[in-house]
Amino acid sequence: MRVILETKERKKPFLPIEAETIIPSNFLKGPELTVYEGNKERLLSDLFTIVVEGTAVSPDKVEVVLKGDTARIKRVGEYMATGTIRIQGDIGMHCGNFMSGGVIEIGGNADAWLGREMLGGSIICHGNAGHYCASGYRGEKHGMRGGRVEVMGNAGDFCSEYLTGGEVHIHGNCGDMAGVEMKGGQLIIEGDATRPCGNMKDGMCMIFGTVHRILPTFEKIDTKKLPDRNVTVTVYKGDVANRGKGTLMIQKPHNEGDQHPANTLPGPATT
Amino acid sequence: MIIKDVVCPFCGCLCDDLDVEVDGQKIIKVQNGCTLAEATLTGNNRLPAPIRRTANGWEEISYDDAIRETADILCAADRPLLYGWSSTHGEAQSIGVHIAELIGAVIDNTSVVCHGPSILAIQEVGHPGCTLGQVKNRADVIVYWGCNPTEAHPRHMSRYTTFATGFFVPEAQKDRTVIVVDTRRTESAEIADEFIRIERGGDYEVLSALRAIVRGKGSILPREIAGVAREQLFRVAEICMKAKFGAIFFGLGLTMSNGKYKNVRNAIELTDELNRHTKFTISPLRGHGNVYGSNEVFTWITGYPYAVDFARGIAFYNPGETTAVDILRWGECDAALIVASDPGAHFPHAAAAHLAKIPTILIDPHRTATTPLCRLQIPCTMAGIDAEGTAYRMDGVPIRYKKLIESLYPDDADLLRRIHDRIREVQGA
Ligand code: SF4
Repeated sequence: MRVILETKERKKPFLPIEAETIIPSNFLKGPELTVYEGNKERLLSDLFTIVVEGTAVSPDKVEVVLKGDTARIKRVGEYMATGTIRIQGDIGMHCGNFMSGGVIEIGGNADAWLGREMLGGSIICHGNAGHYCASGYRGEKHGMRGGRVEVMGNAGDFCSEYLTGGEVHIHGNCGDMAGVEMKGGQLIIEGDATRPCGNMKDGMCMIFGTVHRILPTFEKIDTKKLPDRNVTVTVYKGDVANRGKGTLMIQKPHNEGDQHPANTLPGPATT
Repeated sequence: MIIKDVVCPFCGCLCDDLDVEVDGQKIIKVQNGCTLAEATLTGNNRLPAPIRRTANGWEEISYDDAIRETADILCAADRPLLYGWSSTHGEAQSIGVHIAELIGAVIDNTSVVCHGPSILAIQEVGHPGCTLGQVKNRADVIVYWGCNPTEAHPRHMSRYTTFATGFFVPEAQKDRTVIVVDTRRTESAEIADEFIRIERGGDYEVLSALRAIVRGKGSILPREIAGVAREQLFRVAEICMKAKFGAIFFGLGLTMSNGKYKNVRNAIELTDELNRHTKFTISPLRGHGNVYGSNEVFTWITGYPYAVDFARGIAFYNPGETTAVDILRWGECDAALIVASDPGAHFPHAAAAHLAKIPTILIDPHRTATTPLCRLQIPCTMAGIDAEGTAYRMDGVPIRYKKLIESLYPDDADLLRRIHDRIREVQGA
């Protein structure tokens, strides 16, 4: 079954829409779901043109397609366990919150908290991801615990904060403090990163671009050849300000004189 | 008439030992206060009556009309924002939270531009803090990190730290070692026994290095960390570990530079490490007089200290998403009520500019930088001058503001209560 949701024109297009009801399993019972636009509860059909093609007997056979102006729609795919969601353009915050299975594919950019506290399944974002990609909620001790997040563009600050399990693969650059408070799992950054893995307790982070301002509390212990990539990386253990059992592998460590002044960092998270 | 033991409502120190001379409805002299206190208590820039913006400029309107219009604007909004609350008393703050719940608004306080990151860090790793009385009587090592109390909290050093005599530190300055950490040599740094000058944005690295030293892992550190010589950090770590009682105070230099709450978290975790060797505490130097109170009141009622979103009838909290600055800069909100704060002066341009685009109402005694952004301003009493009420000092101690003079202005709590009742009427209809 394919459910195509195309946004209708709205009087106040800047109002956020909270749409955790948009998960494949909910459409088995029909498309008359509700979402919140600002502080008003609306029928899905008030905000979207809905087209349903075919039928399905189980949620894994449901594919939800989102089209149009979707950048302000939050929480799509929250608690999703199976099925597929394809978003043609950009998507708002918290896409794939707590998802445990299924696939989310985003054609454009994803706003902050993509795959927050995800447990399983996979998310692929063809554009950039905002701050806190694959991280945890405020005050939460665990971020993503399982599954896979792949971002073809860049990710913002605090990417994979509290990463505990699963794999995060960023093809572009990361902002400040990727992998901060990491406890497990694997973070791969193909591009550049600044101050990665502060307070890391466990897990592995590999960075193949330039690392600016590596923290002074990471200890260089070895070099290693990665045969599948045919590159040699420097291996660090850290963060010794904490338990220091994490592994950080860097292909291009920062230059000695590179202080990377704060005003050249990517735009910081505001809060 | 001289009123004794007056509480200054300006900064988070809430000094409660001022003597204020009053002549009728005028404050004519302030003793014991700093220059900020004197300017606050004797200042006279009050708006005489409610004003409404028209095509031809401002017009005066009645309180009844202003309240009716405010309630109507808030009821009609799909994403209203209630912001401010830090320069008024807890009684007004609590009515604000009830209004937010009633209309499905986001309610936020000035923590978003000061110590919001400190709260996030405390929510992650706790708060090994203490009262200012403990610091005054016990602390022989004081660290000021990313703050300049000499200019921002002018009596902090004389009442509680460097120049204050205490039970276990009778010789004040002679018994205390003061360490100042900052990116520039401030007035406070001139008084310090040890000044650590950090390159801008390097606080996190220096805190991590200090943690490593205290854990006995300092040998792996490079010779210089964010512009600070390793030897200086070893020396400072030793001073801290040998202290009988240490107290760290930190300011916006830590909370509002890159890393934000992670800087504060690192400072808290350094404090934890130091507690394996001695007694150490850490506390934010809160700015607005009753900003701590707004966190307290919001938390009693909603469970969250700031950035509370009632859009769906229940409290949701996620700074970065539900914070006033973010909601404004994304152009999300379609009406705003500002109470007892000045976002026109403190917010980034994009956020302040959005306030000017939507119907914004300001409840504040003074003409401020927010006035030109508003559609409506309603003047009220000022907590601690012509209104009494409860405020919380920066260390969480509640203190009662005194009413020093009578005035014809309504208390902001009364104004808010009337707005609340009018909203209920509109909703009931
Ligand atoms: S230090 Fe703060 S509270 Fe004390 S008198 Fe000065 S402005 Fe008022």
